[in-house]
Amino acid sequence: MTVSAPGAAAPEAVADFLRQLRLGVEGGLDPFSAAEGAATALPERVQAAVEALGRRVRGEYREDEWGFDEDFAEAVYPLFEFLYDVWWRVEATGVRNVPGHGRALLASNHAGSLFPFDASMILGAIMKTHPLPRWARFLVLDWAFVLPFLSSFMRRVGGVPASQFNAMRLLEQDELVMVFPEGIKGTGKPFSERYRLRRFGRGGFIEIALRTGSPIVPVAVVGSEEIYPKLAESNALARVTGAPFVPVTPTFPWLGALGLIPLPSRWRIEFCEPIDVSGYGPDAADDRRVVFDLSEQVQETIQQKLYENLAKRGSAFL
Amino acid sequence: MGRRIVITGVAGKWGSELARALERDPEVEQLIGIDSVAPANDLERTEFIEADIRNPVLARILPGTEADTVVHCGILLYPEPGKPAKALHDINVMGTLQLLAACERTTTLESVIVRGSAAIYGCEGATPYFFTEDLARRMPLRTRFQRDISELEDYFSNFARRHSGVTCCMLRYQPEVGPELDTPIGRYLSLPVVPTQLGFDPRLQLVHTEDATGALLATIRNPVRGPVNVAPDGTISLSRTLRLARRPTLPIPHPLFEPALGRLGDRVGVGTLYGDAIRFLRFGRGVDNRRLREEVGYEPRFDAEDTVRDFAAGLRGRKVGPALHPGALADRLAGAPR
Repeated sequence: MTVSAPGAAAPEAVADFLRQLRLGVEGGLDPFSAAEGAATALPERVQAAVEALGRRVRGEYREDEWGFDEDFAEAVYPLFEFLYDVWWRVEATGVRNVPGHGRALLASNHAGSLFPFDASMILGAIMKTHPLPRWARFLVLDWAFVLPFLSSFMRRVGGVPASQFNAMRLLEQDELVMVFPEGIKGTGKPFSERYRLRRFGRGGFIEIALRTGSPIVPVAVVGSEEIYPKLAESNALARVTGAPFVPVTPTFPWLGALGLIPLPSRWRIEFCEPIDVSGYGPDAADDRRVVFDLSEQVQETIQQKLYENLAKRGSAFL
Repeated sequence: MGRRIVITGVAGKWGSELARALERDPEVEQLIGIDSVAPANDLERTEFIEADIRNPVLARILPGTEADTVVHCGILLYPEPGKPAKALHDINVMGTLQLLAACERTTTLESVIVRGSAAIYGCEGATPYFFTEDLARRMPLRTRFQRDISELEDYFSNFARRHSGVTCCMLRYQPEVGPELDTPIGRYLSLPVVPTQLGFDPRLQLVHTEDATGALLATIRNPVRGPVNVAPDGTISLSRTLRLARRPTLPIPHPLFEPALGRLGDRVGVGTLYGDAIRFLRFGRGVDNRRLREEVGYEPRFDAEDTVRDFAAGLRGRKVGPALHPGALADRLAGAPR
């Protein structure tokens, strides 16, 4: 929620508003009515921003049943846009493989030990480069949802706790859902093992796709491993904070809050050909062989695309 | 022949509301209310039997009523004057047990409906965002009230198993609010400044009073077997709820929230928020209401947002102090009717 007034006009408008307000109060009006009268003196853009702010404080905005708050997501979007364009110079390819409507499951590699930004950058790639931009929902590690601030932030921008029930319901509602099958094992791997995919759990995401008949779009993200290179782990800090692990990076925790600034690596995101699983039928979700075969297929696709994009990217930071 | 319905806890808010609605139903031939205190006098054709459901004497009374339906509205969700926290376990668990024992001997019985609570799902940070009926007890049962609810649901499903001819339905209610209803959550939401837990903004589902009784009536007409969630469509965050109610918030770090509210609550008449209310106001809870809509056939009239709007409209009529919320100022600037 930013009040964006045209540069030089802003101070003038405020002065005008205050002048009108004073005249009103001196004329015997109560402050509220005076402010109301003075507001008409403001230029249109300021008025629109004030109205938007008014709607916000009156609670007149939309939230869906998942707690996703589109106005909020749009308000924080510029920050992520800056990271996308300037900081990480993301190059996205194959974005048309993401369906413009209807259900689909995006499965991506997961990295960025301290704070994984890959979900936000995949989201950014779809919003910025897709001909039919849409907000994707993403499954977030449970731990984030017991923390103050982070829990409500995640909920507002489209995160839901990683539970198969949440993923199924979202897909049944024809949403675009992002999963990270490696989970915590992906974000927690040491820097020396970057871009080597971890085990894809028990293939739960395949079961979800089979049960809901959703196509799977494998996504390969390059660049996320270099933002917080994990050199070691601090067991003591993990015990104190209750976090699944606390990484030690070249800057964290040595520089304190400054250590939270991610390194400006160069990113590439590739959306691969969708895998249509509707032919198997929902009952195949209980067939371990089908599940493991598909899981392996997704894993191999992502791994191969990771190597290709690493070669294409060249230098990690320049 | 019309229906013969027994309501327990008929002197309570929910029991008397239900009795009032059933009195208007011509299909109901006989209406019997059981409670330990007399109900409000505006009940006309409800026959009142003064009995404590914890007392075994119930087993002699109930078969004599030849009831076809028993609606158990006697489960207390929070302490009330005269019914302290210590008595709650007794009333809820022992009371239900005695009632079920009495039902065993009532051969005319066709259905038993219990007005229970969705507390059995718990309130946790990371959960399914919409609990379906089969997801009960997935989360740890942390409070006494949750354990009580879980225990009495166990007894109830055992009863259902033994009596396949009786349709046993457990209604799992989300917390209820309404412009007229006085509950701890309602009092909390109408504080002039509402303390919240810093950094937490739970998703809430509050049932409107009208839907709460409506769902119960629909279940009496069309009882289904097993548990059914009673909740509105959608969810609404606490922050937006308070904005719609024009209540400024006072965020308190969450470890201090319970003691602060305890102290403040006693002073301003909220009472201590009981049971899982503290966790409910930190993590919230959503349940899936498809079974209520599709199998019982009840469409909630109010969705999560409308419930709050209706509640807030009732609050605005009541003057509780100066308009401190910026939303109230915004109302004035927008020239909204007050």
